Amino acid sequence: MGPLARAIAAHPGYRWGAAFALLLAFPLAIANGYQQYLVDLIMINIVLAVGLNIVKGFAGQVNVGHVALAAIGAYTSAVLSTKFGLPFWFALPFATLTTGVVGAVVGVPSFRLEGAYLALATLGLAESVRIFIAVTDYLGASVGYGDIPPPIIGGWRLDGYAAYYYVVMPIAVVGTYIAFSILRSDVGRAFKAIREDTLAAAASGIDVRKYKLLAFVISALYAGCAGSLAAHMAPGFIHPDDYNLTRMITVILMVVAGGLGHVWGGVIGAIMITLVAEWTRSYYQYEFIIFGLIVVLTMLYMPRGIGGYIDRRLANRRFVALRTGKAAAKAV
Amino acid sequence: MSALLEIAGLSKRFGGLVALSNVAMTVGESEVRGVIGPNGSGKSTLFNLVTGVYSADPGSLVRFRGEDITNREPHEISRLGLARTFQLLRIFAEMTVIENLLVGCHRQIEYPVGAALFGSTRVRAAERRLHAEMLDLLDFIGLADFAEMPAGELSIGQCRLLALGRAMAMKPVLLMLDEPAAGLSPINVDKLLETVLALKARYGLTVILVEHVMKLVMASCDVVTVLDHGKKIAEGAPDAIRDDHRVIEAYLGKEMKDAEVRAFLRSA
Repeated sequence: MGPLARAIAAHPGYRWGAAFALLLAFPLAIANGYQQYLVDLIMINIVLAVGLNIVKGFAGQVNVGHVALAAIGAYTSAVLSTKFGLPFWFALPFATLTTGVVGAVVGVPSFRLEGAYLALATLGLAESVRIFIAVTDYLGASVGYGDIPPPIIGGWRLDGYAAYYYVVMPIAVVGTYIAFSILRSDVGRAFKAIREDTLAAAASGIDVRKYKLLAFVISALYAGCAGSLAAHMAPGFIHPDDYNLTRMITVILMVVAGGLGHVWGGVIGAIMITLVAEWTRSYYQYEFIIFGLIVVLTMLYMPRGIGGYIDRRLANRRFVALRTGKAAAKAV
Repeated sequence: MSALLEIAGLSKRFGGLVALSNVAMTVGESEVRGVIGPNGSGKSTLFNLVTGVYSADPGSLVRFRGEDITNREPHEISRLGLARTFQLLRIFAEMTVIENLLVGCHRQIEYPVGAALFGSTRVRAAERRLHAEMLDLLDFIGLADFAEMPAGELSIGQCRLLALGRAMAMKPVLLMLDEPAAGLSPINVDKLLETVLALKARYGLTVILVEHVMKLVMASCDVVTVLDHGKKIAEGAPDAIRDDHRVIEAYLGKEMKDAEVRAFLRSA
C-alpha cells in the first residue's frame, strides 16, 4: 500500500467513502429506465425505513403514522414548488423541517401511552391526515396532486431517473450514516434504554420525555425528507392512497424483516421489500399473503430480522474469541 | 457527619392503603444505612418516593444535599448524584453489558445532541474514553469478559452485579440498593457484600440498603432503620436492633420466645 492508500484506510470514514464511490458508479450497471426507477425508489424507501427504525427500533415507540408524516412532507413540498413556485432545493429542507415539527406533535401521546394504545393513537392521526388530504380540493383531493417539478440545477432538469438518482442516493447514504452515528452515541443509548425499561432509564438520569420526543422528531425528519423526494420524482404526481395503511404496513415490514434496532436492517429491509412489492405487482390481490408469509418466516427463523441475525452471529464470535484468547493466554 | 439525606413526614397512600405513614430519617455522609422490615412494610415504597418514582402525599419532605427533592422527576433526582438499583433489576436486556454501564454515564456526556447525529471526532474521542472507563469498572465488578454480551444472557448473580455497576457508573454520592442480595447463593452474598464495601471504600459513598438477608445488613450497616406497616418502629446500631422487642415482634409475632428469636436472628 502506498502512503495515500494507507492514509485513506486509516481514516474512520473510509468505508463510507468507498461505499459512496461505488454507489456513484452504480447507474453504469443498470440496464434500463425501469431498473433505475426501482433503484431510486429503494433509496427513498431506505430513508423512510431507517427513519422508522429510529423511533420504533431504537426508542421502541410505535408510530403507525410514519407514512402520514411522509405525506405531510410530500404535500408541503408539492405545494411550495407549484403554488409558490419555490425551487426543490428550498422545498425539500422546508418540507423536512415542517414534518419534524409535526413529528413532535405526534410524539406527545407517547408520554402517556405505550404499545398497542400508542399504535391506535398514531393510527388515528395518520388516517385523519390521509382523509384530510383526500377531501381538500387545494391538495387535489382524491384526484391526486400533479405537475410537481423535478429539481433543477442551472437550467438542467433532473427529471430522468438516472439524474434523480444523484439526488436521492447521497441523501440515503447521509441518512444511514446519521442513524449509525446516533446509535453509537449517548443519544442512541438513551433511546434504547427507554425501549428496554423506561423507569430504569429515568433512574439513570435520562429525561425520558425529551428523548422520546427527540426520537419522534428525528424519525419525522426522515419521513418528511422521503416524502418530499418521492413527490419530486418523475412523473411528479402524488395521491392520498400512496399513504394509506397498506403502504404503512409495507414500511413496517421493511423494518421488521430487516431487523428492528439495526441500521443495516432498515436498509436491507427497504431493498428487499421494495423489490418484492414490485415483482409481485401483477399478483396484486395476493400481496398481503406474500407479506404475511414474509412476517411468519422472519418470526420463525430470524425473530430479530436479518440485521439482528447478523449482529447475533458477530457478537457470539467476539465472545468466543475473547474467551478462547484468555484461555490461551492462561495456558501460556 | 452532616446530613446527606433528610426525610420528614414522608407518607404515601394508595387508595385506602397506607403504604408509608409519617416516616422520618436522616442519613449522614458516608454512612451505610440498612432499611429492614417484613414484606409490605413500605421499604420499596420509601425508595420509590425518595427517587421520584411515586409522588409523595402532601406534607412530605425529602431533602438531598440540602436541596428539596420532594416529588421531583426521577431523572432530575438522579442528576443530583442519587443512584439506585431495583428489586427486579430492570437491566437493559437487549443492550450489551457495557452499554448498560454507558447508559449510567448519561449525565457525564459533554457533547451536544447535534454532534451525536454526525459522529464528530469529538464524539468518538469522548465515547472511547468512556468505554475505557467502563471497562475498568466492569473489571472491578468482575464482568469484563462479558462486556459485549447482551445483558439478558447473564445469570441472576451477574445481573445483580451489573445493576450495581450501572448505578456506580453514575458516579453517585448516594447509592440506594433495593434488595441486592435477593435470590443469591450464600457465596454470592459474600461476594456482593465484598463488592459493596469495596465500592464504598473506593468512592467514599453513602449507601442505603434495603435487604432481607440479615447477615448482609448486620455486617455492613452502621445504622439500621426498621419499618413495619408503613411506620418506623426502631432505629439504631445493628446490635441494638437485633435485640429490640418491637423488631422481633414485627418479624415473628409475639408468640415466639425472645431467646428463640435472638438465636434465629443470629443464625441468619
